[in-house]
Amino acid sequence: MHIMEGFLPHPWWEVWYALSLPVVAYGIYRMNRLVKERRETLPLLALAGAFIFVLSSLKLPSVTGSCSHPTGTGMGAILFGPALTAVLSLIVLVYQALFLAHGGITTLGANVFSMGIAGPAVGYLVYRGCTRLNLHFYLSIFLAATLADWATYLVTTLQLALAFPSATGGVVGSFYAFGTVFALTQVPLALVEGVVTALLFKYIIQVKGDVMVKLKVIDEKGLGKLREAIPA
Amino acid sequence: MHNSLLDDLALASPLREKSSRLKLALVAAALLVGVMSTSPVAPLFIALTMSFASIRLGKVPAGFYGKLLAPPLVFALLGTVVILLFFGSGPEIFSISLLGQSFGATAEGAELSILVLSRTISGTSCLFFLALTTPMVELFALLKGLRLPDSFVELSMMIYRYIFVFLEVAVGTTHAQAMRLGYDGLLRSIRSFSMMAGTLFIRSWEQGERLYTAMDARCYDGRLSLFEEKRRVEVQELLGACGYVAAITALAYITRGTSLI
Repeated sequence: MHIMEGFLPHPWWEVWYALSLPVVAYGIYRMNRLVKERRETLPLLALAGAFIFVLSSLKLPSVTGSCSHPTGTGMGAILFGPALTAVLSLIVLVYQALFLAHGGITTLGANVFSMGIAGPAVGYLVYRGCTRLNLHFYLSIFLAATLADWATYLVTTLQLALAFPSATGGVVGSFYAFGTVFALTQVPLALVEGVVTALLFKYIIQVKGDVMVKLKVIDEKGLGKLREAIPA
Repeated sequence: MHNSLLDDLALASPLREKSSRLKLALVAAALLVGVMSTSPVAPLFIALTMSFASIRLGKVPAGFYGKLLAPPLVFALLGTVVILLFFGSGPEIFSISLLGQSFGATAEGAELSILVLSRTISGTSCLFFLALTTPMVELFALLKGLRLPDSFVELSMMIYRYIFVFLEVAVGTTHAQAMRLGYDGLLRSIRSFSMMAGTLFIRSWEQGERLYTAMDARCYDGRLSLFEEKRRVEVQELLGACGYVAAITALAYITRGTSLI
């Protein structure tokens, strides 16, 4: 869920930039180290970034009819971890602003924070937590993707509410107001994205499961178990 | 699908030949003036002039430009409605009742929502101007010039390159699925969409491995050299840009705090 160019007033857009920049800088640092260790990382990351962009520019099978693009943030976090996802989503968001007019440049900081940092962080934690609890692999993926989407949506709502507190209810009042307006599209959308992400992982496991082992999403044993479950 | 990529238009734009540094500086200045302005007058002026520049100087079809502007406006309108109904104190200028609850709008709320709406339109039209006249390729060299980390710029370039490859694959696959009634009904749509996305991921992964081999074979050491085409900035262009920035800054300063209501 992108905040449009010019929507956030001074000083809020600067604040979100200030909060996002250190995380992205850390992500770039991590990426540089990874690239030095294993040089094949950069092309693979680039292709993953392009994949996220293409996926997010396609329309999901829509429920309510309005803005229904998947964000792919939960998926990115599961595959590459939150730090690298922050870098990838910064690039993807700049391209979205320039090619598709989703989001903007002054609101880039806020959008990176909600979609590139908060969402992926939640998705990653949920996924790791679920694996520790030994939940079923696809259920964990579904939960991670859906909750990452909802986290993004809540953070965006918070960003709007902080910038435009309501006269009677303050920040909390406008948080509810913005929240209700966007919940109409975001709640079902996140569910659809969760299902799509889980199915997507299912196809990848069926066809090319070794990629998931390489990315440390799942270990050999887990992969073998999932493979057995596929009817021949 | 491809028409919606602004980059295609930028490659054909007559303004492409102008210095990308100048265009970037101009857009950045206009963005800042728009977002800092405290009255809707200056943002609306920026929106009008930027749209005029895109359509007349950039030769973008006016109808297409209108269609581009529509989706961002829908989001902005949704947000402004919330501001209109929940922000500001003082006497209400109108109220409506919906589902047994009455919502009122105050003059203060109306003022703020007009201001926010005008800022959004102004920012969006600035972005469109940049996107419709400056192809991404021209910006990469500029990014390297700004001393951003090499790995970051390189990652951006490779992402950019493969966006178009995968978009073609995705659109082709989706058409093929639609021809076979793959998007008939919600459940089937979800299934088809995930299948397409999964295939796309596997393809992109394999392509990534091939790309690495190809680059390695050509002695890639983590750095692609870029050639930045130096485009001369004419004196009139520079003067015009400075004059424009001065004019919008002055306008924002003079009209500060005034409202349209």
